[in-house]
Amino acid sequence: MNGLLRGGTTPSTAYDDVSYTRGGTVDRAEVGALVQSAADGDSAAWKSLVDGLGPLVWSVARSHGLSDADAHEVYQTAWFRFAQHLGRIREPEKTGSWLASTARHECLKLLRASKRWTPTDDPQLLDRPSEDRTPEESVLDSEEAAAQTERVRLLWQEFEALGERCRQLLRVLISSPPPSYQEVSAALGIAVGSIGPMRQRCLRRLRARLEARGTTS
Amino acid sequence: MSGTSDRYGFDDFDGSGDGPADGSTDGTFPDDDWDSGLLEEELRQAAAILDPVPAALRSVAVDAFALHDLDARVAELTFDSLVDGIPVRGETDPPRMLTFQADAVTVDVEVTPDGLIGQLLPPRPARIEVLSGPREYARLTADDLGRFTGDAPPAGPFALRLRTGGEVVVTEWLRA
Repeated sequence: MNGLLRGGTTPSTAYDDVSYTRGGTVDRAEVGALVQSAADGDSAAWKSLVDGLGPLVWSVARSHGLSDADAHEVYQTAWFRFAQHLGRIREPEKTGSWLASTARHECLKLLRASKRWTPTDDPQLLDRPSEDRTPEESVLDSEEAAAQTERVRLLWQEFEALGERCRQLLRVLISSPPPSYQEVSAALGIAVGSIGPMRQRCLRRLRARLEARGTTS
Repeated sequence: MSGTSDRYGFDDFDGSGDGPADGSTDGTFPDDDWDSGLLEEELRQAAAILDPVPAALRSVAVDAFALHDLDARVAELTFDSLVDGIPVRGETDPPRMLTFQADAVTVDVEVTPDGLIGQLLPPRPARIEVLSGPREYARLTADDLGRFTGDAPPAGPFALRLRTGGEVVVTEWLRA
């Protein structure tokens, strides 16, 4: 993986002070350069884009409560379209937002197709439970990692028990590397300025749930 | 959940729907950015372990580089009955009507479970490949009047690559 697209492992502080400019660890200018290289035929640059932005695209599909099969198709459609438009994208440095927005629209279409007699833009009505979101947990099944495993499992459990909107927002925010607020906005169709406060509230809810279970972060 | 609606219309924060009045804690709970950052980071690691991009899917995206073709013109989706159409009462499974446009070239496509019917405008013959990812799924031919028919498109995203008079036009990817 290209160094600039590394996943962050240290907590970034004061996200909300920089909510409009938060860029996570993906260097925007470099994304633009990678897109240019890929358009010129550099497959390694393309691979770096897949690794750097793929998790964001996946998080958009997952955050919309699609079935696994539908989430797979959204992810593929976004990348096929991006390949198709490579070299034609007006603002290559905003490719993350482009992909997130493309994925979001595909999600909404699939949700609409599943109930096409009632087209709606109401996100509450569009919520559809995933049929098979049971996570693959076998990677965690090692004795020595048991405590850590338990912690991760519990954290995920409480995350999934959050309300739909918080789950949706956080699922996109926690893609790796961390997305910019512009990308989150494109992924969920919400104003950039409301992401910071919403994020704080959702994380507060999550912390409260964990504390109620006797686990603190 | 009274009092939890807010100006963002974000009224479903907590799945429990009970417990302490969530709204009232706003402002009284000192926010700890550091703690929030830590929790978010921990959650990010959990997502990377429990809900990563499936490896096979990543490979599909890597292979999609082959779809990059600067010589082809992209016919953008300008009408999709799923989005722009008015649902017909009583019709439970109406055909999917799609229109793609690249400058003066228009491709109308109608997709039903039984097959695919299309019309290239202005009318002209064309050789057409139905693409399923980087793979070719089927070959069709548009007659002199620009009409073509074929089997239903593959499951998953598909596109049409039309070759006509030295020109290559590819429709935007979508799932039928």
